Amino acid sequence: MKKNFHIDDFTHPGGQVTELDPAELSPLPPPYDKREKPPIRKLTDEQSTRMDASLDGVVAIGLTPPKSPEEEKAFIDKFLAGIEKLFSTDDNWTFLQPLVHTLEYCVKCQICSDACPVYVSSGRQDIYRPTMRPELFRRIVSTYIKKEHPLLRKIKDSDIDLNWQTLARLGELAYRCTLCRRCAQVCPLSCDNALISREIRKVFSQQMGIAPKEIHEKGSVQQLRVGSSTGMTPAALRNILEFAEEEIEEKTGRKIKIPVDKKGADILLIHNAGEFIAWPENLEAFAIILDAAGVDWTLSTEIAGYDSVNYGVWYDDFQFARVAIRQSQAARALGVRKISLGECGHAHKAGIVVADRVLVGDLIIPRESSLPLLEEIVLSGRIKFDPSRNHFPVTLHDPCNMVRLMGIVEPQRRILRKICPQFREMTPHGVENYCCGGGSGFAITQSTNFPDWRNSVSGRMKMKQILEAFQDAPGPEVKKYVCAPCSNCKGQFRDMFEYYDVWEKSGILYGGLVELIVNAMADLKKPFIQWEWH
Amino acid sequence: MGTLIIVLTYIAYVFIVVVYTIKIVAWLKLPPHIRWDLYPVIHEENYRYGGSYYEQPEWWTKPRPRNTWRSLFYSLKDNFYMGEYFNRNRTYWLCLLPWHLGFIFIITFHILCFFAAVTMVGGLEITAGSPQLLGKGFYYLLLLTGGVAFVAGTFGSIGMPIVRLADRGLRTYSMPMNFFNYFFFLVVYGSGLFAWLMLDPTLEEYRAYWLGLITLTPPELHPLTVLHIVLFDIFLIYLPFTRSTHYITRILAYYFIRWDDEPNLPGGKMEKQIASLLERKVSWEGKHIPSGKSWAEAATESGLPETKKDTP
Ligand code: SF4
Ligand code: SF4
Ligand code: SF4
Repeated sequence: MKKNFHIDDFTHPGGQVTELDPAELSPLPPPYDKREKPPIRKLTDEQSTRMDASLDGVVAIGLTPPKSPEEEKAFIDKFLAGIEKLFSTDDNWTFLQPLVHTLEYCVKCQICSDACPVYVSSGRQDIYRPTMRPELFRRIVSTYIKKEHPLLRKIKDSDIDLNWQTLARLGELAYRCTLCRRCAQVCPLSCDNALISREIRKVFSQQMGIAPKEIHEKGSVQQLRVGSSTGMTPAALRNILEFAEEEIEEKTGRKIKIPVDKKGADILLIHNAGEFIAWPENLEAFAIILDAAGVDWTLSTEIAGYDSVNYGVWYDDFQFARVAIRQSQAARALGVRKISLGECGHAHKAGIVVADRVLVGDLIIPRESSLPLLEEIVLSGRIKFDPSRNHFPVTLHDPCNMVRLMGIVEPQRRILRKICPQFREMTPHGVENYCCGGGSGFAITQSTNFPDWRNSVSGRMKMKQILEAFQDAPGPEVKKYVCAPCSNCKGQFRDMFEYYDVWEKSGILYGGLVELIVNAMADLKKPFIQWEWH
Repeated sequence: MGTLIIVLTYIAYVFIVVVYTIKIVAWLKLPPHIRWDLYPVIHEENYRYGGSYYEQPEWWTKPRPRNTWRSLFYSLKDNFYMGEYFNRNRTYWLCLLPWHLGFIFIITFHILCFFAAVTMVGGLEITAGSPQLLGKGFYYLLLLTGGVAFVAGTFGSIGMPIVRLADRGLRTYSMPMNFFNYFFFLVVYGSGLFAWLMLDPTLEEYRAYWLGLITLTPPELHPLTVLHIVLFDIFLIYLPFTRSTHYITRILAYYFIRWDDEPNLPGGKMEKQIASLLERKVSWEGKHIPSGKSWAEAATESGLPETKKDTP
């Protein structure tokens, strides 16, 4: 029986607001229904003294407690000053209108709660309701920013007593939402609770300089400094590309020169640099297809020009704008006609849609997804395919950023229907899909016990969907493929599949879309997909 | 008494129209924001599965047909049907819909009363046995809208606090003001229902009241009808202080946020607007943000200690 939760539980110093009970997590189909290990590791004593984990025992940012009451006060004051800036046109024209709308017009009907995979998978823990963050946010605004009369606050039940720990919990809670915006999609009043998660993250980053290090310091800061959030320098990129060319030759017998910094090319293709390091077969497959179709394309070695990621879209408007501008500058320097984005969901949304209102003048260079281009190539007959080469069960994961937030739904499906005879959908899919659980930076957040939470809670719904999509052949003897046209989602699948031993128990491999396309090319001698590299 | 309700009614109507207008203008005057679309976007050709113009190669060279009527119909229809609630929480919907219909119908009823009164000044007889078809039509229309408003509103105002208290999630997020609203609305609709059923089944008193309003002649009314009218006027004055503007703002949010997929093309109006917003000065205090500079400066000089490119 769940205890009745009260908002005050959130503000009491000490203790932990919620204890995740493995028995309450939403059930998974067999053989994943047995709880073999505790889902989330406990922090060590040393970690517990260093980092606040009083929300749910999990750490994404892990704030260190203040040493004195003065320090605590300074922290709170600075945070409140940041909240105030969110309401200023100068500081926050970027999101002021949607922010104000959500804060003022939500009627707290809770319709969005059951749409949220995190809330449902957690066994409906109150703290993970999409409405929880906005509720705390509204109370802070009512009590400390608008300074409403205590009586009015009583009537509106909008009081809150701020202390350092409440803010530390709020900061963590902002990183328990994948920004998948499934909640916003069902809201009858067009409110967007995901946006509130992002606005809270912004105050922490833009005002306090606090963000998970994988996203800020080792992420966007590194990308702007070195060229890529992976830390890969242009020199390293060239080495990797040489290696990829050799691999292509070995796998296909084709000698392909991957074009780099080719001035005046038609297309600048930007991959998520994670592909270069973790899944080189993806960029190889792109090269094979574009070469076979005779496309005039190039990669870039400029800062951010070879890494499509833009982590700012998850937590910081400035880091976002900087990366978006750098990417456009890279394209401008090469004089390409357009930018095409490889298989990365958030890079699609960030680079094509969100960046649209940051770029002006000659930085407005046409930007598009590579999926329609791939569809055109596959359906045009320019390349001969033999679908029987993909004669294994395939399902498609819809990266939220590309699908729900951008409306690119059918091109990838039309490709799969043509080249994968055993393609089947997950339920639900398309714009109603569930996030992989790695959204908004989770897939790259590896600190302390956060990956445990991500695998067992935020990714749980996707895990269930995948298993159900293959329920006609659940065992490991039938090899199956989850097509995920997004590096971030692939990162999440890599971790989650390992966490649950999915290869051993179910024989499920994950990979991109282009790999399936190349695997079906009729004139290749050997299969391109290498199942042993699960 | 008659004079009082005439004055009060005018004040109430002027007040609600003025405050609603101020609120909506304030909403619309918020600056243009970064794109934050959410699919399906209903004016899109492939809205059925949530497709967008980004599904075509070189989308900027293709037409982007928009079906404005479809999106308008879609956004308005939900005010009367509340589909998401029907699909996701049927019990809640069962009380919420009547509660909202009560509001929509009571406003419609009053607007119809106004037109009925205008025609009455012109000599129309509004009764069940009126020799003029229009008179008969008005009679039944008023009976229908008024009846639905009182019954649905009363039902909804009783049901809403019950479902709010019965559901764990709704209870946690309920505030005393919600219950005050339910109670107050119950008194408003209930008093109307009582006056209608017990004293004025043909709603003749309302027609007299509205005739009095437009001819500025204080009407003679039963005290219970007067009570309902006074309560209704207070209701109109109170509404702008609640979240009720959401009838309109939810539609604005569809158009200006969720479905705002207007691309920023070179040389367009949007580009000019963005360029001017990029000139605004920022005051964020994070170390990586150059406080006091403009957005354009902050976004281009990265504000980071080292920004040199690692050359091969
Ligand atoms: S965000 Fe929307 S769906 Fe969720 S509680 Fe608020 S009004 Fe209801
Ligand atoms: S954005 Fe996704 S994860 Fe976040 S609250 Fe909404 S539904 Fe839940
Ligand atoms: S990681 Fe993939 S599925 Fe998850 S939010 Fe991002 S795009 Fe969506």
